Amino acid sequence: MLTATHTDLKPFEDLAASFAAKELAKKTEEHDTYPFGPFFTKVLDKAYEVGFLGVLLPEDLGGINGGISALCVILDNICRADSSLGGIIFTNALAQQIMTEAKADTALKKIFPKASNAREFLVACPSFCNPAQMVKLPTAERSGKGGYVLKGNLEYLVLGNIAANALIPARVEGKPGLSFFLMDLGGKSVKKGEPIFSLGLHACPAVDVTFEDAGARLVGEEGSGYALFQEVSGKLHVAAAAMSAGILKGSFSAALAYSRERFQGGCQIINWSEVSMLLANMAVKADVADLCVAQACQALESGARDRGRLAVSAAVHVHELCCEAVNDGVQVLGGNGYMKDYGQEKRYRDARQVQALLGISPMKKISIIRQIAGLEDICAAAF
Amino acid sequence: MLSSPEVASFLARFPRFEDTLLSLQYAPRLPRGMVEETRQVIAMARKFNDEVTRPQALKLDRKTHEDPDYLPHEIVEEANRRGFYSMWVPKLFGGKGVNMPSMSYFVEEVGSVCLGIMNVLGVHYLGVAGLMSSQNTPLIKRVLREVVDGEKTGKPCLIALAITEPGAGTDVEEVDLVDKGKVTCHAKRVKGGYIFNGNKIFISMGHVSDWTVLYGVTDLKRPSQTNVGVMVKQGMKGFSLGKHENKMGQRVCPASELIFEDCFVPDELVLYDPESMQKYSNKPVRVLLQRYIDYIVSVTRPGVCAMGVGAARGAFEHALKFAAETELNGKPMINHEWVQCWLAEMYKNVCLGRLAYIEANYANSHRGIYNLLQVKPLYYYQKYLPGAYFDKVVAPMLDKESSKALMNRVYFDWHGLDDDRCASGWASLAKFSGTDIGVKNCQMALELMGQAGLRQDRGVEKILRDAKLVQIYEGTNQLNRLNLFKCLIAPSIPNARVFEEE
Repeated sequence: MLTATHTDLKPFEDLAASFAAKELAKKTEEHDTYPFGPFFTKVLDKAYEVGFLGVLLPEDLGGINGGISALCVILDNICRADSSLGGIIFTNALAQQIMTEAKADTALKKIFPKASNAREFLVACPSFCNPAQMVKLPTAERSGKGGYVLKGNLEYLVLGNIAANALIPARVEGKPGLSFFLMDLGGKSVKKGEPIFSLGLHACPAVDVTFEDAGARLVGEEGSGYALFQEVSGKLHVAAAAMSAGILKGSFSAALAYSRERFQGGCQIINWSEVSMLLANMAVKADVADLCVAQACQALESGARDRGRLAVSAAVHVHELCCEAVNDGVQVLGGNGYMKDYGQEKRYRDARQVQALLGISPMKKISIIRQIAGLEDICAAAF
Repeated sequence: MLSSPEVASFLARFPRFEDTLLSLQYAPRLPRGMVEETRQVIAMARKFNDEVTRPQALKLDRKTHEDPDYLPHEIVEEANRRGFYSMWVPKLFGGKGVNMPSMSYFVEEVGSVCLGIMNVLGVHYLGVAGLMSSQNTPLIKRVLREVVDGEKTGKPCLIALAITEPGAGTDVEEVDLVDKGKVTCHAKRVKGGYIFNGNKIFISMGHVSDWTVLYGVTDLKRPSQTNVGVMVKQGMKGFSLGKHENKMGQRVCPASELIFEDCFVPDELVLYDPESMQKYSNKPVRVLLQRYIDYIVSVTRPGVCAMGVGAARGAFEHALKFAAETELNGKPMINHEWVQCWLAEMYKNVCLGRLAYIEANYANSHRGIYNLLQVKPLYYYQKYLPGAYFDKVVAPMLDKESSKALMNRVYFDWHGLDDDRCASGWASLAKFSGTDIGVKNCQMALELMGQAGLRQDRGVEKILRDAKLVQIYEGTNQLNRLNLFKCLIAPSIPNARVFEEE
């Protein structure tokens, strides 16, 4: 949909579609075995080489300065095949954007232009939550050298076991609100747990971490973390929606193909009208998801008023469409859809995992109505 | 007041009174002993959950990801020690004779903690249903005695049921579809038995079960007319185990491929064939086959409903615990009004799903295959007479041709079509209702828990993975909707046709 109206995005689509076909589609099941099987390091390195890990970053920082629509086109096409890589791209973009929004130029220049591989280019962060809502955060204290030290636990640090650096939300002792800190994950004062075995996106790993006076640098101002998160997530919600749209379309394509191959009662199952109805519902949802992502991108890029809220609305709706559709995507394949040698069960899991990006969906809805009604942001009020 | 003929006339209108309000009609006939028995069963399930299911569920799920070839022998042995595999086997066949509907409550309880472990315990009764629905009393007795003996000796003897084939899933569960389907498991009549060739897939517990109820057809072009049901035992020549499927959930319960290559099955292990079916009834073979299938699915589908309800309940309990322990925006999550309404919705789903399987069980108890066992005198006769009486007096009679003939007459010839439809329709209603709410509650729990719900070590994501399967097996929910229409709605519409769309 985006490329139909923005032909300049076509190269991104072609690149992502070809990458997905070549590097992901035939090995989805194998890549999904992580953490019980090997991690797809080579695929990640190739994604880094073609620029997928720096879509929103300016070129002088080692990115490709593609803009949010380009990111959405890439995530859509990648997630049709395997949304684990989409989760990595998304999480890294979130961390980069928070740093950019905070004008952490020194840190940005220190990490991204100098990175020589994917690991060095990745910045871990807890992308499956709104840090202001539910996470027990570490605490930060000023150290003698002008920096900070972090103490305590952080659950579900995404990319925590594969990234060189991390962007950590923490509370500064004696100060309201939360703040973001950048830190090197290689130090002894950072204890990482085993990769967490999660519902979906198996190859987008997360770990629990414990900080024991771990050195860190403040990103932005003390207490500015929630505002930074809100500003950036307002944009990246649409990227999460693009991931769901990709999963949905991948599920629909697989179901449609299967319905032409599988026979029941003497004819292709697509000719049974109840199966047609399942497929039709998926097709409608895929189209609506595309429209939502395209319109939200347009609102973001044109600087429309309420663009952040529109992006959240699009994301909430597309995530719901996707979760419903992937259920039918398994159902069309019957027992085969439940088995790992078909891709549908993975999409069923991944859809729910992606829905949790940037926080729980009911609270996203509450935030939408409070914005429309002109009421105070309840997360900000809670500080 | 209306006259009796008027009342009868109004109540015969669609929806017929006797096909609805089943609990109102049949609760008064419920033997009171069943209530106490059911209390015992639920308590037993909860004890098993405390001692086995809860400590093992997540560990075993993880283990199956580390080792996809894992088989649940220790769970089977524990269940065998506790007598679960003969609990719902009638006393006349040597079992404990606990009332059949109580199994649904047991399924919900264990299923609320782990559907995979529940299936390790419960899918054996799919095999039992396939065996018993044949009414072949000598063979039923022979196989079920091995199950009972297995509990005494500590060597579990389980029964699986093999119907699904690589090219035929939905087709093989409907006589109206099977003749157009791609059925490939062939049974060739030879002197003294049948020779089977073909593969069966997705056979729950196939790798772990001693006996398997197996279906084949003598004419691949006329499956509905030529169906043969047999019992095969692991180790028989020509019967081998294929791959063990890599499933999304319920991973502790293996789904097996069974391979038959010139596997000879002697006549003594034939449950039924077209010839034996027509020995006791003049009804067409396809009608008798549909009745046989309906007897099985009418009792197993409420059980699958209970699994869905178990999933719904497990998801609800996880969400409730999370909301009670978590703060959201500065106050306990449980005190947010929207959270309270979500939890109420999830609780409602559990209760409605439970009511669905209860109604379906009433249909089976009074209009379906349980009806003899639930008649009060027979129920108490079976409940209070000692096992030795059944062993010494009743068991020898089961080997007689007259027993087999009587049971076949009762269930295949005399049983009413309306009663079949009622039991089968309600079983389908329960199946797709309970399983849909299972997935629905999991979705709600995950949305409520966010990041915390994604972790396998928190439990709820596993329930979502497990729950999806119950929308598929025992007939997809789409097939079950069609069966409900066929059984409970279509009879009121003269020109309605099911499975004839092309």
